[in-house]
Amino acid sequence: MDIQNTQSQMRKGVLEFCILSVIRKGEVYPSDIVETMKNAQLQIFEGTLYPLLTRLKNAGLLSYRWVESNSGPPRKYFVMTELGLEFYDELEKTWKELADAVHTITQGSPEINNQNQ
Amino acid sequence: MKKVININFQGRVIPIEESAYDILKKYTESLSNFFANEEGKEEIINDIEGRIAELFAEILKKGSTCIADDDVNKIINSMGKPEDFETEAGGTNEHQNKFTSENIGPRGRLYRDETDKILGGVCSGIANYLRVDTSIVRIIFALLLFGAGTGFLIYILLWIFVPSKKLKTNITKRLYRNPEEKVIGGVASGLAAYFDISVWIPRLVFAFPLVLGILNSIFHNLFNDFDSFETMIFGSFGGSLTLIYIVLWGVIPEAKTASEKLEMRGSKVDLNSIKNTIQDDLDGFKNKAEKFGNEFSEKSKQWSSEFTNTINEKGEHFTREVNAASKSSSKKFGHVIGILFKAFFLFIAGMIAFALLMALLGIIIGSVSVLPIKNFFLNSYWESVLAWGTIIGFLAIPIIGFIIWLVRRIMKVKSNQKYLGATIGSLWFIGLICCVTLVFQIGRNFKTKSAIEESITIQQPSINKLHIKVANDNNYYYGYDWFGVDCNNENNAFNVINEDSLLMKTIRVTVVKSKDSLYHVKMVKFSRGRNPEFAKTAASNISFNTIQNDSIISLPKGFIITKDDKFRNQQVLFIIEVPQGKKIQIDEAINDYEWFDINFNKRRGWNVNWDRTWDNSLNWDTEVELIMGDKELINPNKNLNDEVDLEESLKDLERKKIELREQQKELKLKHKELLKEQKDELKSKSTNSTIRIKPIQNLSKQICISTILIDKFSI
Repeated sequence: MDIQNTQSQMRKGVLEFCILSVIRKGEVYPSDIVETMKNAQLQIFEGTLYPLLTRLKNAGLLSYRWVESNSGPPRKYFVMTELGLEFYDELEKTWKELADAVHTITQGSPEINNQNQ
Repeated sequence: MKKVININFQGRVIPIEESAYDILKKYTESLSNFFANEEGKEEIINDIEGRIAELFAEILKKGSTCIADDDVNKIINSMGKPEDFETEAGGTNEHQNKFTSENIGPRGRLYRDETDKILGGVCSGIANYLRVDTSIVRIIFALLLFGAGTGFLIYILLWIFVPSKKLKTNITKRLYRNPEEKVIGGVASGLAAYFDISVWIPRLVFAFPLVLGILNSIFHNLFNDFDSFETMIFGSFGGSLTLIYIVLWGVIPEAKTASEKLEMRGSKVDLNSIKNTIQDDLDGFKNKAEKFGNEFSEKSKQWSSEFTNTINEKGEHFTREVNAASKSSSKKFGHVIGILFKAFFLFIAGMIAFALLMALLGIIIGSVSVLPIKNFFLNSYWESVLAWGTIIGFLAIPIIGFIIWLVRRIMKVKSNQKYLGATIGSLWFIGLICCVTLVFQIGRNFKTKSAIEESITIQQPSINKLHIKVANDNNYYYGYDWFGVDCNNENNAFNVINEDSLLMKTIRVTVVKSKDSLYHVKMVKFSRGRNPEFAKTAASNISFNTIQNDSIISLPKGFIITKDDKFRNQQVLFIIEVPQGKKIQIDEAINDYEWFDINFNKRRGWNVNWDRTWDNSLNWDTEVELIMGDKELINPNKNLNDEVDLEESLKDLERKKIELREQQKELKLKHKELLKEQKDELKSKSTNSTIRIKPIQNLSKQICISTILIDKFSI
């Protein structure tokens, strides 16, 4: 068993969730997403982000618009679509369940978790 | 000191160091390779590049004059390399996983690969160990097999001794045949993808020797006889490349699925990566060698003790595996055989096309060489128009068409070909009509044949000998006969031709027996023409003038026909009648004439009223005196019976020798007997011996003579 592999598997699902959650808060420029996630100690390469955004956009969860910039060509800003919001809600639900479950299993009782929240 | 270039990168003008630009280019290339299979690839790459451009702009805003290596490297690190994407982004394609994660995996020992095998998985195992493409190892083995058969032995040994194991692929790039861009088997385009070069390079490498051979043979054939086509195809370099192509075709798999196509392009193989691999190899090699040595000695010890067991076991295992392999790979063998057949048939088809092409080229070359003398063939303006139409339309157009087709095929040009095809087709059809008309026209001009006989009055030579001299300088004369160009000579055939006159050498000299006691000389001129009158006129226009100087008759080197005369296969038969017992000598230069055969058909041709013995005239000896005998010329210096006599006399001598030997034997026997008698007598009567000595002396004398004789005969 390769630990790196397992770790990346764990991170994979969460990544999309996190990105969506950042975009949900408002129109956002991709490098801002990276910044936000870095601040939260979640490393992501921009090279990974762009394909993911494109995939989400192609799936209809995101849309973008061009915003003129002071220097150079216009930039792409991403916003969430209705479909994306629904998708995000589903993911959030699942995440909560999962987090509870994981916590219960690893720490003991779910109530402690709830109390902390 | 570094060179700075300006690039337009995603709508921004960026001054960048050249080396930094190289790094950037490599990076974007690796990205486009990585996302090759992704939906919306363009968009992703554009986004990333746009971001990079933005970062560049920021750097420049801070006051840097240009983008340096470090800047690019930093940005690449923050953007992440394709290898980094995998671990977190979760590529949707499995091949992407396979691609990189296993690249890091440690190199084990040598195994046979169970997952990827044709026979025993030896090749793929070696490839796995060396981290090269399986196909390459297979090719090397195949070449070894073709070369010396050593590959087979090595393979069997490795099959027996190397354990097998399921191995994961550890290379990022594989050699495939590219089915999307193929002319024959897609080998060249596959190679191009593997080495990241343009497709035309390997194509040219494969095709060049062939083209060279063809060109060479064309130029060669201009002056010489045709070579066999095999030497062209299989000639040294070109041949081995053709063989290699076929081997590669058989060995390299075709990239069928999308992931295979991706693997075909893979990550870039450049000098750096090769260097790194070699470095890696060298570092690990020493340890490996030691380890392997130890292992080997241990193994051999073990082996010697368990020799029989192991052999039995291995043997069983091996036979089992061979059986399985032969079963499982019979399909693959079928495939290989299929490919070989395909190659063979393509090759045959190619050969036929090639032969046709060469024949056409030959005709063209022939007709071009006839070009300077076309005025001698053609009567009117229209006929020369037809001739040009034939050459251009009928002969040149197919060649041009073929070249166009070839170029388009190689360049993969796809456009509306209908127009082109129709043009070429109609041009060729016009050419064909021209050709047929021309042949008909020319044929008409050669319809009938006529002859004119002229006797030449000569003075009888003062001595009983006639010397026939043929004008001869060292120039080569244009030899011309019914079928056109004389190709046998080294000299340029066109030297003595000018636009207005053509030197004909269709002259035949013949010597026959005179009916009276005088020398006579006659000349018959032949020509063809549209009708008998035309032919007669053409024949009478031949001027073949002889000059007599007492016993010497000089013949010109040929006769000249002019543009107005036209070529109508004019011929001259020069007849010399020699009375019996008189001599004639003929120059060797007479062989310069182009002799022709004479048709003795009395109904249409020219009536000949003497013996046909002069047909033997080809066997004349030149430059010697010949005497007219009963029927034909005789060379007095050459006695044909001489040889027979010599042989017989030799046999006689041999016979005499044998007889003499027998005589000698008898004599010796007698000699002995007599000596014995003498002794006996001497014993009985010691006196009175002188009487008998004399005959003995005579005998010994005879023996001596006989030995001398034998010696003589032996010499």
